[in-house]
Amino acid sequence: MEKGSRRDRPVIEVRRLRKEYIMGQERVVALKDISLSIMRGEICCIFGTSGSGKSTLLNQLAGLEKPTRGQVLIGGVPVSRLSENSLAAFRQKHVGFVFQSYNLLPELTAVENVAMPLMFRGVPKTARELEAKKMLCRVGLGSRMNHYPGQMSGGQQQRAGIARAFITRPDIVFADEPTGNLDSRTTKEVMEMIQRFARTFHQTIVLVSHDPEMTEYADRIVTLMDGEIIRDVKTGGETEK
Amino acid sequence: MRLTDIARMCIDNLRRRKGRTILTVLGVFIGCTSIVVMVSIGIGMNEQQNQMLSQMGDLSIIEISQGYGEGTGTPSDAKLDDAAVETFRSIEGVQAVMPKVSLSLDYPVRMLAGVNDRYTCDWAEIVGLDTDAMEAMGYEIMDGTMPKQEGEVLAGQYLAYDFMDSLMPEGRNYVDRWAGYDEQGNEIDPQDPFFDMMKTPITLEFDMGDALTEKKYRKELKVTGVTKEDDGKGWETAEGLMMDIDAMKKLMADVREAGGMPAAGSAAGNQISYSTILVKAADISQVSEIEGSIKGMGYNTYSMESMRQSMEENARQVQLMLGGIGAISLFVAAIGITNTMIMSISERTREIGIMKALGCYVRDIRALFLMEAGTIGLLGGVIGCMVSLILSVMINLFSMGAIGEGMEGGITWDVICSALLGGEDVTRISVIPPGLMLFAIGFSVLVGLISGYYPANKAVKIPALEAIKHE
Repeated sequence: MEKGSRRDRPVIEVRRLRKEYIMGQERVVALKDISLSIMRGEICCIFGTSGSGKSTLLNQLAGLEKPTRGQVLIGGVPVSRLSENSLAAFRQKHVGFVFQSYNLLPELTAVENVAMPLMFRGVPKTARELEAKKMLCRVGLGSRMNHYPGQMSGGQQQRAGIARAFITRPDIVFADEPTGNLDSRTTKEVMEMIQRFARTFHQTIVLVSHDPEMTEYADRIVTLMDGEIIRDVKTGGETEK
Repeated sequence: MRLTDIARMCIDNLRRRKGRTILTVLGVFIGCTSIVVMVSIGIGMNEQQNQMLSQMGDLSIIEISQGYGEGTGTPSDAKLDDAAVETFRSIEGVQAVMPKVSLSLDYPVRMLAGVNDRYTCDWAEIVGLDTDAMEAMGYEIMDGTMPKQEGEVLAGQYLAYDFMDSLMPEGRNYVDRWAGYDEQGNEIDPQDPFFDMMKTPITLEFDMGDALTEKKYRKELKVTGVTKEDDGKGWETAEGLMMDIDAMKKLMADVREAGGMPAAGSAAGNQISYSTILVKAADISQVSEIEGSIKGMGYNTYSMESMRQSMEENARQVQLMLGGIGAISLFVAAIGITNTMIMSISERTREIGIMKALGCYVRDIRALFLMEAGTIGLLGGVIGCMVSLILSVMINLFSMGAIGEGMEGGITWDVICSALLGGEDVTRISVIPPGLMLFAIGFSVLVGLISGYYPANKAVKIPALEAIKHE
């Protein structure tokens, strides 16, 4: 993926993506031939109720699941066709994750958790922990570096999670209901932080949520229902589909 | 990921589940210990057998005697002469060759000693051998030196006890070499014989006359040294006289001249036919090969080798059997490792999913789990070896009588050392060579890796999607 490409170039391209699950005797269609382009630097919110297919779409975008049909191109690379090994390398370089349940490893301290993606890349311990400390200071956890996740509040854990997602300066950060477990005050804090990082490093954020409040922080809102995009709104200029 | 990071994570994970790790290591350690101790007992058995055999005779010596044609019973053409000695010497792996001839006549040879032949012995065993090869063959000189010239001989350790005092009445005319036992059951040292062989010359008397004529040949010999009794070498080391081959040839020529021996064949001059030739192999492993090639020349051979081989074969079977019993417990331990790893992986499903989602390579995950299983094996192996050493020393101390009833001499550092390392007159029941320990540790690690293989592959198949699932 080229760095510093123009804003109008799509970083994620979804082409006629279809995902079906077999549930017992029935075939459930979770995504019905969706096509979508997300631009570089865009904060895109995929919005929908539960069962709308928004989580399935995120899984496809992040390469966590293989689609039944269609393609996902990230920076021109078809992630759905990558091998397990190249997928790992791809994630190391280009992708960050923020999870709803934070997913910090309970046996590791905040610093170790944040440094983890760098460890997978083979960065030596001292170097990666120095970087992790910088990130923790940025998210306001300078005093909690050696705390274990169990010793931190939900908001603090999620901030550590954000530090971990951004430590590798990924092109895209996928956030799955990042504030689903947080109260409204922390939600604001966390979302502003994500927004700030994205603006600073010109990163693309793909946000999945069922919370209408989230839409405040997004540049674009894609609404899904029953596996189809029913609305695609750019804040500022609305385009009805 | 760096290897150091994988190792750190591996150790952290094992430490995190301390109780479970300790129990699994315990299984491996018991398996490893049982293999090592069992095999060590097999090896100890082998050592004991070899010790026993070497008491019966030198294991590396082959005794060669006149061969006989198969089935016919007639002597084969292969002669035990000087040419044969040279041939044997040229065989690869032969350290020393010693020809031996014993004087055999059809009339008695008496031995006389003391003033006016006071001490007499009616039967003499006289052996000629290559005195230069005696040391290499393992003859032990207890006292004195080697004979250097004609008329000098070596005497067996107990030869002097065979003499009778002709001036004493019946019943008191012998010194009993077997003095019996004292009240504690210890052997009593016998009294000194009538005379000191080293100081008193011994005269051989060849009585070659018949009922009508008296005809005797006398030869005085000086004893320069005494050999230690050695059943493996021959009876002469206890109660015979030994002289150099050349001296023997001279003695035979003299006796022949005096008419006490039939004239030898034409070229007899210095030609002599040996009664036996001893061949010593440089190493015990070469014995069977050397023996085979000598047999092939038409000689009759005898050595401890065939007995040693069959005993070794036997010991190996016992070792395999005992090792097999130990292996069963290690196999059970291997299942334990697999079980522990599978449990650990199912607990860590989410963690593995997160690692994958954050870009951890599949190979690193596999390496991590294999390393955890291997470390369990390594720990079990190392602890097992240490415990085996302690057990082995205790078994040996017990068999040596240092522990338990009696407490003979108690446990000193020296006793422990000899129990561990063995020695000349130490009988060890359990022997652990360093190679066995290395093998045991290596094998335990291997068992760990093999047991971890299936769980590691299971871990690798956990999808990154697990990270995103909500609880």
